[in-house]
Amino acid sequence: MIALFIDFARRFARNRAALVGLFLVLVVIGVAIAAPWWFPRNPLRIVGRPEIWPFVSPRYPLGTDSLGRDIAAMTAYGARTTLLIGLCASLTATIIGITVGATAAYVGGWVDELLMRMTELFQTIPNLIFVLTIVSILGQKIEYVTIAVGVVTWTPIARLTRAEFMSLRDREFVQACRAMGMGSLRIMFGEILPNALPPVIVLSSLVVAGAVLFESAVAFLGLGDPNVTSWGQLIGDGRTLIRSSWYICAVPGLAIMLTVLALNLVGDGLNDALNPKLRDR
Amino acid sequence: MSGFTRRDFLMTTAGAVLASGFAGSSSAVASAPKRGGTLVGTWGGFEPQSLFVPAGGGSSPYFTSTKVFERLLRLTVDLKFEPVLALDIKPAEDFRSYTIKLRPNVTWHDGKPLTADDLVFNAMEYWKPISAGVTLDALEGAEAVDPLTVVLKFKVPVPEFFLKSVLAGKAGLVIPKHIYAGSNIITNPVNNTPIGTGPFKVKEWVRGSHVEFVRHDAYWNAGMPYVDKLVIRWWRDPASRSAAFEAGQLDIGTFNPIPAPDIARLIGTKKFIAETKGYSNSAWITSVEFNQRREIFKKREVRQALMHAIDRSFISDTIFFGRAHPSIGAIPSSNSIFFTKDVQDYPFDVKKAAKLLDAAGYPVKSGSRFKMSLVSAGWFEENVKIGQYLKQAFEDVDITVELAIPDRATSLKRIYSDYEYDVAVSNNSGSIELIPQTTQYYTTDGIVKGAAFRNATGYSNPKMDEIVGKMAVETDEKKRVSLVHEFDKLAAIDAPILPMVDLEPVTIARSDVRDHSLTADFMGESWAEVWLDR
Repeated sequence: MIALFIDFARRFARNRAALVGLFLVLVVIGVAIAAPWWFPRNPLRIVGRPEIWPFVSPRYPLGTDSLGRDIAAMTAYGARTTLLIGLCASLTATIIGITVGATAAYVGGWVDELLMRMTELFQTIPNLIFVLTIVSILGQKIEYVTIAVGVVTWTPIARLTRAEFMSLRDREFVQACRAMGMGSLRIMFGEILPNALPPVIVLSSLVVAGAVLFESAVAFLGLGDPNVTSWGQLIGDGRTLIRSSWYICAVPGLAIMLTVLALNLVGDGLNDALNPKLRDR
Repeated sequence: MSGFTRRDFLMTTAGAVLASGFAGSSSAVASAPKRGGTLVGTWGGFEPQSLFVPAGGGSSPYFTSTKVFERLLRLTVDLKFEPVLALDIKPAEDFRSYTIKLRPNVTWHDGKPLTADDLVFNAMEYWKPISAGVTLDALEGAEAVDPLTVVLKFKVPVPEFFLKSVLAGKAGLVIPKHIYAGSNIITNPVNNTPIGTGPFKVKEWVRGSHVEFVRHDAYWNAGMPYVDKLVIRWWRDPASRSAAFEAGQLDIGTFNPIPAPDIARLIGTKKFIAETKGYSNSAWITSVEFNQRREIFKKREVRQALMHAIDRSFISDTIFFGRAHPSIGAIPSSNSIFFTKDVQDYPFDVKKAAKLLDAAGYPVKSGSRFKMSLVSAGWFEENVKIGQYLKQAFEDVDITVELAIPDRATSLKRIYSDYEYDVAVSNNSGSIELIPQTTQYYTTDGIVKGAAFRNATGYSNPKMDEIVGKMAVETDEKKRVSLVHEFDKLAAIDAPILPMVDLEPVTIARSDVRDHSLTADFMGESWAEVWLDR
């Protein structure tokens, strides 16, 4: 087991860019965890004069926004929101996607037809509009944003899982399991899934990056939860001042860009490490 | 229309212009108007729910519908009534009836003539039951004496300034009988392509983008309108409006179209001017409303305490960049006829607020006095910030606040239809005359579920109803002013809903747009006289 992990780590590390990505993701996670110690007060509090530029006042290293809130504190707490939504949404999407994809492929027949048509139905609706619709119906709560993002991003995972399952379900080892009288659920999730999982994990890591962008878009449009800070919301609030105090948008914008880039690099690294066909290329 | 002199007026507007720092000179150029061109306009808000909303519906439909529909009168910048569709309106000696002489040769956009029948229909079927509501409760009947003369009869004496204000106000639009008779006016689909007597005809409404109006060639005021085409376009946020100005895609924007920090920059280019005139009859306020269907906010002491917890100078200086000032009482200080300083004021005092809340029976228990849902209507950029600020201000007196900043439609629904809020931040614009726009926030008969911008707090005080009832029938202008002061005092003490700040709106226009901002409520005028010096 340990040997397997070392092998995995070695292959992951061979992709230098992935290492950089991993480092950045760890930094963001670190900031998210450390935020309450760095900034003990509520990040949405008005603490100083509005529109102090970054690197001017030592108390507000990244400056203050149009109301006089500390951008450093908001960015740090925003990392929590962003990561939380990204991970939870990705988890939601992965669970829905694997369940639908696995069932469709393994059961086949009309169930497959039905589930795949449903998947296509979801795919045809423009993602962002679907997210906005769900959020405006359910309300502006962070839970609902997470659910909304999860609900629109599961389709590629479902299709990938289905394809993997299709190629695995008639292999000898599966037939052997059947011959031994194993139950369907056990075969699906105990035998086939572990073999189908690597590409799904890669895709899930990319869904996290997509979810971060969705959350930012929703918050930018003013439909995010106003009770928590998020990077998109900070950009949305700062956009009226883009001609005079552009840093209000630039700081969280940079944070989003780096995080999404890092997540994509990590995804590439995972792909290299987990995809046996690329092994020792 | 006595008791208000030109000097009073000059004092108020001169003050406004000086305070703004830019004395725009939109109308100073004395040259003959040029014909032609396309005027692109907008306002500092969003697209309306319908081009014409018969029951009111806020400023956005008011902005679009007034280009199509006209009223009998209009109020000029020096607060004199000027004839539009009526040539003359005269009260009888006992003020129980008024004779209206209509302008001859006025046609609707479909070619039919405007007659006394239309006016009788408007008075009895539209104004009284729908747009003016309780305001015209006293209206008993309307009678067409001849094709161009109508007599309005009232149960009680009706003050002249009041009636003329109603007819020149938001509720006084004249709609065609032949289109609306026999239908439900409020839900008639023609409200999306209204047919009026105004200078502009609706050509096309592209939802989510703009509405295009074309010149009504048979307009009664020969030569007008000066532009061939009027396009009202909506942008979602102020920064993109200022980009549109600079890109030459926008000619004029009323009611704070662009971010305040951008104003000085645009003026600096010399291609644009900022104008503060044209808002005296639509004074904008941002108010805080307390839902008295909730046990906690039913207590007057709680409402007063919360008023003390708000730093209104912070709102006007930081959120509005100085383009607003803290309100005193329920009447905006720009209302030179009725404003009074002699009311209960609520200076910012966190300690006092906390003490009042303790006394009201809401001490701090495990870190919080109570939980509140705060709904800040998301139709203005500033409301987003005010919501965020108020959350903090109320948390400073140990109240747990759940903030929501819904979009326009959801805000209207939550505040004015479902009453699903504890404390709300909303806006309204009131005319010089306080009945009905200002009073309907305070009177019992102002409670109309689903009707926007009325009494949504559920406040009901017989004393208040009585004062407003008296204001409605007092024909002596001086006595009326003192009744209004009584109203203001009671409103300030009871504080069911109170303005936090009076806004000082500004119109931004390209410097080649001429003759705008000449009336007391420019945004709600027909814009027939606006021309392009190109």
